[in-house]
Amino acid sequence: MLFFSFFKTLVDHPVTVELKNDISIRGTLKSVDQFLNIKLDDISVVEEVKYPHLSSVKNVFIRGSVVRYVHLPGSVVDTALLEDAARREAAQASAKAKAG
Amino acid sequence: MSFFGFDATLPRDRGHQNNAPGFSQPHDAFAGLSGRGAGAEDDALDFEDTYDGLADQLDEGDDVLNDDTFGGEPATQQNVGRDFDFSGQTARIAGTMQEEQMLYNARQPPPRASPPKKASKPAATGYEKYKQPEYIPQLEANASIWGLGPKKTAPAAPAAPAAPTYAPQAYAAPQPAPAAPNRRMMSLEEVEAMIRTQSKPQPPTQQAPPMEIPNVASFLGAPAPAVQPQAPPQPQQPQYPGFAGPPQILQRPHHAEQRPPQPQPQVELPAPSMPQHPQILQRNRTPQEPEPASQRQMPRPAQAQREQRESPQPRQILQNPNRLSGQGQPMSPQAHRSQDMGRGVPKGPSHGRGPSFQGQVITDPQQILQLTEEERAQFLAEEAKRAKRNHKIHLLSKDNGLMTPQDKNFITRIQLQQLVTATGNIDAVDAGPEAALVEDFYYQVFSSIRGAPRASPNQPANQFAQTYLFATHGRYGRFGARGPHGRGDNHMQRMEQQVQRAVEAAKAKPKNKQLVIEGSLGKISFSNAKTPKPLLNIKRPDSADARPASAGNRRTSHGMPVLDRKRALRDIENVYSTLLELEGHERHIPPPLTEDSTADEIQAHMEWRSKLQGYNERLWRELKVMEPIVPNSPTPHSFIAILSHAKGKKAIPRIFRHLDEQQRITILTIIVVHLDSLDVIAHALPSSAASPPPAQLPPAVREEIELFSQAIMPPLFSYVNDAPLNIVAGLLGLVLERTHVSLVLRTKIGLAILTMLVSRAELAKQSAPSDSTDADSWNAQFSRLFDVAEPVLPYLFPGSVVGADDVHVWQFLAAMGAAASPEQQQRLVLGVKERVMETVAVARTLPGELKERRLGEVNLFMRAIGLDVELLG
Repeated sequence: MLFFSFFKTLVDHPVTVELKNDISIRGTLKSVDQFLNIKLDDISVVEEVKYPHLSSVKNVFIRGSVVRYVHLPGSVVDTALLEDAARREAAQASAKAKAG
Repeated sequence: MSFFGFDATLPRDRGHQNNAPGFSQPHDAFAGLSGRGAGAEDDALDFEDTYDGLADQLDEGDDVLNDDTFGGEPATQQNVGRDFDFSGQTARIAGTMQEEQMLYNARQPPPRASPPKKASKPAATGYEKYKQPEYIPQLEANASIWGLGPKKTAPAAPAAPAAPTYAPQAYAAPQPAPAAPNRRMMSLEEVEAMIRTQSKPQPPTQQAPPMEIPNVASFLGAPAPAVQPQAPPQPQQPQYPGFAGPPQILQRPHHAEQRPPQPQPQVELPAPSMPQHPQILQRNRTPQEPEPASQRQMPRPAQAQREQRESPQPRQILQNPNRLSGQGQPMSPQAHRSQDMGRGVPKGPSHGRGPSFQGQVITDPQQILQLTEEERAQFLAEEAKRAKRNHKIHLLSKDNGLMTPQDKNFITRIQLQQLVTATGNIDAVDAGPEAALVEDFYYQVFSSIRGAPRASPNQPANQFAQTYLFATHGRYGRFGARGPHGRGDNHMQRMEQQVQRAVEAAKAKPKNKQLVIEGSLGKISFSNAKTPKPLLNIKRPDSADARPASAGNRRTSHGMPVLDRKRALRDIENVYSTLLELEGHERHIPPPLTEDSTADEIQAHMEWRSKLQGYNERLWRELKVMEPIVPNSPTPHSFIAILSHAKGKKAIPRIFRHLDEQQRITILTIIVVHLDSLDVIAHALPSSAASPPPAQLPPAVREEIELFSQAIMPPLFSYVNDAPLNIVAGLLGLVLERTHVSLVLRTKIGLAILTMLVSRAELAKQSAPSDSTDADSWNAQFSRLFDVAEPVLPYLFPGSVVGADDVHVWQFLAAMGAAASPEQQQRLVLGVKERVMETVAVARTLPGELKERRLGEVNLFMRAIGLDVELLG
């Protein structure tokens, strides 16, 4: 759930989503769910000339499984907190592994 | 029978016709009449199918004139001429016969069309009124549909099931049973040959009355060679009026040949010598009529009576075939049924659903075939209308009733559970905000601190998180703790209740994370969005067991940097996990104690305190500050190793919050003692004592230095700023004793720490000048430091004068200058004079702001010793 938790904090921030088909879409993150499906608003395609068919699209819903990267604005990431969150997650996982 | 062109054989026996070319046509003709009847050869022919209704036109009343017509003599073999030649002449005109038949059919559509109609509608009423005790009204070819097995016919008419063709109907009456078994039809040639050969030797016997009926029967039903010769002429005649199919065939030849055979029977049949003849004739005729007769309420009672009296069974046979006969006619009763179905079923779909609708469509073609044009048109119109409506309904309701209420409940439960697990743990419902934090730590904490200006990036966020979570307690984890939850509260409450119920249900069920199917080798593990299916299931060795082993390894492998690094990293992680737990525990602080606090509250507070203490001790242990200091050891002290990693450095400010004074000074002491083994100092050391510090350190080192000064220096400063003079003096003494101060002085962090100590001592001296012993010890330490520092003063500055980052050096010099005696100040000025002049000269060439800054930096020192840059002219 870490990624879900993390991406939730990026809501309303501009991100660039790079898809597995090489299309990069820049837009405002509107919503994300536990499958890391992504809703973007006010989108623009990075290589607009290459994908003219997307030039009139204003918002998109991206299935989480087709996302290759999400480029984040570094300023909105609290790395120390993220580290801690990762530690917690790891601790939980290991606790579960030990229990199971 | 074959003689007259009737196909007396069962469909399965018809193969013989290949051998009888002359009579293949009659069969075909029949097929043409019966329409689809001939198509399905296996089923018996239906009388209705073959009956053209000609008998209706027959005037039975004229039978009395038969004698006039045919002559009164009995037909004898003698007066039956042998001048017939069917196989020869007739066969040659077979084609013509066929054509004639077609013509006939074409010219007489009404009689053809009527019988089916009669059969379809009046048939029912006719049979209702026909109340013979032996009569089995429902016997049909597919009687099984009606729930009446064919068994019923069997006792009444043994031959009927086996031979439901018209042949037994007509002639097999007297002795149906013998006829049925070997109904082998002879070809015309055979019959003729037999007639010619056998008529001669046995002329007299043939007229014997008792023989007559069997003869006829056997002749008709199955060839009985001995008897056959006499029979043919007799039945021949009555056939014309009655049978639609065969008569036509026969008539045609007759017409063509001026009906040569007819005159003979006409003469013979009424013969007085044959008392049975009329009966035979009538019986022969009745077969043609039974159908109409029965349907029309027996117009000739006498005849019917006779028939009944003589042979009730034949009667049934005759009638049954009408119903029984499989393919052509059977349609007529069926048509009724299917029409009913057609009307009944269509209504069904309109109230029902798809499947029945389709079923109806399937039955349609059959029905339509049975209808007249008008009916068909009407039916089709209705059907189209109905289908249209049904289609609409079908479209609208195609998913109706797919799910039962139970199904819906089930789905709802799953969705709710998903909801619960999506927002938090299942335990979230009882566990409180902490549980939401467990699943959603980053978001929860981040959103709690967002917007609030943070004093430093390393400021613990959880304090904010704590307040935030308390503020939102009670509505934490429904859909994440964000957004307004005011609207739809009622709905939300219901949701919550449902969720709770679903959660309880889920809890009641034992959690089965794996399914092992009996007999299989593998396991099936379940997963959900929260706990994805683990692809690798590694059973970790208990960390308690693993630790000593690696520890032993560590001990034996002194000096192996890789292991040290790993160990340090593990130590750091342990520190962090303890730190996280400690912080988590901190959030659970019980309500502050007051005078009214109950014993329970006090107890809770005590427990919390003791637990906190436990965490603190654990943290302290894991920091490894108290590990023995081994002088000149190749391995750095464990705590220093922790500090040599960025995340170790980052942990220090968070740890300091939880430490008491004693622990803090211990940490400070450890750091001071190991100053020159700190990575930020060791990596920044100049290559040689005489050379200045490297102007350009590797980026990684610079980052570390930056981090150290940001993460560790402030807490150290904050402590030292409160430290008494004696402690500061002691620390300085440790630095001087344990480290190579001349080297440490040439690093940024080293200078910063020394600056910190010196400046604090100066302040402490001024604020609390009373204690002379502390001041003395400090002065001694400072003198030592000054002595060590003096020779390296020119080398303190990193890089060249131009663009150098040397503010920390000026700060140090300022601190030293402030603390120094006048004599020391002189030495100090001498030591750095050159650098001061250069810097000032460079600074004056710089543009405004930069110049001011550089001059300001220099001035830090100049003013500390009572001078000013301006004085340098």
